[in-house]
Amino acid sequence: MSWEIVEADLRPIATGAAVLGTGGGGNPYLGMLRARELLRGGARMGVLDPDEVPDEALVVSAGGMGAPVVSWEKLPQGDEEAEAVRALEEHVRRRVDAIAPLEMGGSNSLVALAVGALLGVPVLDGDGMGRAFPELQMVTYLIYGAPPAPAAVADEKGNRTVLSRVADVYALERIARAVTVEYGGHAGLAMCVMTGVQARSTCVPRTLTLAKRIGEAIEGAGARGGDAVDAILEVTGGRRLFQGKIVDVERRLVRGFARGSVTLEGFGRNIGEKLSVDFQNENLIARRGEELLAVVPDLITLVDVDSGEPLTTEVLRYGFRVEVLVLPPSPVLTTPEALRFVGPRAFGYDVDYRPAWATDDRA
Amino acid sequence: MRLLAEEALEDLAVGAAILGTGGGGNPYIGKLLAQQAIRRDGPVEVVGVDEVPDDALMAFSAMMGAPTVMVEKIPRGDELVHAFEALRERLGRPITHLVPAEVGGINSTLPIAAAARLRLPLVDADGMGRAFPEVQMCTPTIYGISATPMALADEKGNTAVIETIDNRWTERISRSITIEFGCTALIALYPMTGAQARESLIPATLLLAEDLGRLVRRGRGIDGLLERLRGHRLFEGKVADVERRTVGGFARGEARIEGTDGDAGSTLSIRFQNEHLVAVRDGEVVATVPDLIIVLDAETGEPITTEELRYGFRVAVVAAPCDERWRTEAGLELVGPRYFGYDVEYVPIEERAAASRAGAR
Repeated sequence: MSWEIVEADLRPIATGAAVLGTGGGGNPYLGMLRARELLRGGARMGVLDPDEVPDEALVVSAGGMGAPVVSWEKLPQGDEEAEAVRALEEHVRRRVDAIAPLEMGGSNSLVALAVGALLGVPVLDGDGMGRAFPELQMVTYLIYGAPPAPAAVADEKGNRTVLSRVADVYALERIARAVTVEYGGHAGLAMCVMTGVQARSTCVPRTLTLAKRIGEAIEGAGARGGDAVDAILEVTGGRRLFQGKIVDVERRLVRGFARGSVTLEGFGRNIGEKLSVDFQNENLIARRGEELLAVVPDLITLVDVDSGEPLTTEVLRYGFRVEVLVLPPSPVLTTPEALRFVGPRAFGYDVDYRPAWATDDRA
Repeated sequence: MRLLAEEALEDLAVGAAILGTGGGGNPYIGKLLAQQAIRRDGPVEVVGVDEVPDDALMAFSAMMGAPTVMVEKIPRGDELVHAFEALRERLGRPITHLVPAEVGGINSTLPIAAAARLRLPLVDADGMGRAFPEVQMCTPTIYGISATPMALADEKGNTAVIETIDNRWTERISRSITIEFGCTALIALYPMTGAQARESLIPATLLLAEDLGRLVRRGRGIDGLLERLRGHRLFEGKVADVERRTVGGFARGEARIEGTDGDAGSTLSIRFQNEHLVAVRDGEVVATVPDLIIVLDAETGEPITTEELRYGFRVAVVAAPCDERWRTEAGLELVGPRYFGYDVEYVPIEERAAASRAGAR
């Protein structure tokens, strides 16, 4: 079902998308402010169910690219992604009919809505990851056959780059990343010029709706005085992995990525235990010593133990008391084709993907 | 208008390496590409910049990257076509002429290959009158002409079209893409009209390169070159040390030459970033960019590029005046010694030479 965004939807979508963003995908607060300004200025944000995208529509995916730590300091101008889409429109000499979100993340979910509002087109209720991932070849549109070129990158100063041909998806990632780093570490990206049929068949469907439901569940629990973590798990499935206090965060900016790990000391049911989570913009693996407890593409998400509010990697700090959750990835991400790009081996971990969201390691 | 045939390439390649002041890429590879293209597609029509119609649409054709990499990773040849097609597509109208971006090394012979393959006339002019290491260092920048849209293509099938807010940003973005391409890219840039070309380019530099090459190849040696370039002898000696690193997509370093004959007992050091930038004799600056600092084989007058320079070579170092536009305030801001990080005032080589003659007397 297609629907229209109202201001009251923004915060739940941003919050829910940040849960799905597993630490990355941008800061939900910044994304929320951008989208809210547009709505207050009279813009309309239509959300298009995948089943209702016309077959012949021209659909382009858009989102912010770079290290979230940077966008937190170097605030986006707000129209970088729309500029990137305009550059692609000029390249293919056709106007887009709909925007497809690149990923679900606190910022990138709402950035897609903002781009749609700026360009006056609806936004697909779905995305290219069903969560957030750090690299472009990890987008389901590409994994399932959308062309890697043309793609466009734009910055807040007015610079634009169109990649009109790329050797493969990895070249797309490397070149777009190099340009983003040169632009200052954050840029607007538009890629995957698709038909409606392609967008429908390659996206992770209805993730804006899912994000909104997660966000509303967290807010509802807060208002009722209920357990926010239970409310999240009720919507998403999955389970609690670990409860602890952050005792260390190691974070470096490496080639345009925020890389590092966060270490937690357990309390409550995990007292006396330690857990660390490695991230590259997004959380990739959770381990206890050498033992891997959960790996990508499972969603490893850190939320505030009381409020259920998701914590993105750039805000993690010593002393935060968090619940680490493992949520199920969309089945679109766990096919053999997809695991080649988003499974643990794609990130350099020599293990097979084994779902961790259904099992209980305490049993 | 004249036709440029295969026979002219030998002279041109040698002359281009002289004007390349150590950089511009190895002329041999560009010559081979041009030879192959002319054999397949026929001779290239060369037109003077004054013969070009006002509404012609032209663009620079060049190779970008580190010369040290260019000699190992040679172009396939179809990258230059991809770059031009991408630029033409962006501009939405046909490009009518090609122009060399610089007249040094590979970048004066490569546009010939491009012109032959694309069957377009080549304009006898360029944007430097020599070679320089960075994209914004072209005379059109002085005239406010944008370097973008600019297209870059590599041998693997990647093509990018960039648009930037100014020509220094063009350098930054295109350099990072070139590095990602593997340190070399074929580029098409500075789209301009015939009228803009006439106003901003340095004319007849292909002809100059051919002349210089002919002088060397007919054994007229260093004296012949000095006369044609209005140049000055700086030093003669043996290469004692070459320090060379590939940094940020550039070949950077320093060559130290120990004097022989009249220069015995002295040392000349030449600092370079792809091209020779500053010559220092016994601690005293004797020539700087934008004047041309040229290293030649002491016997034959053949030019030696920075990536070929090696211990033991016997060389003559000469300096020649650059185009007058580089000596303006706007020109020196782009390519003066201070831009390259040397805290010295630019003094035209003629004045430096006159002062040193007066001092010697």
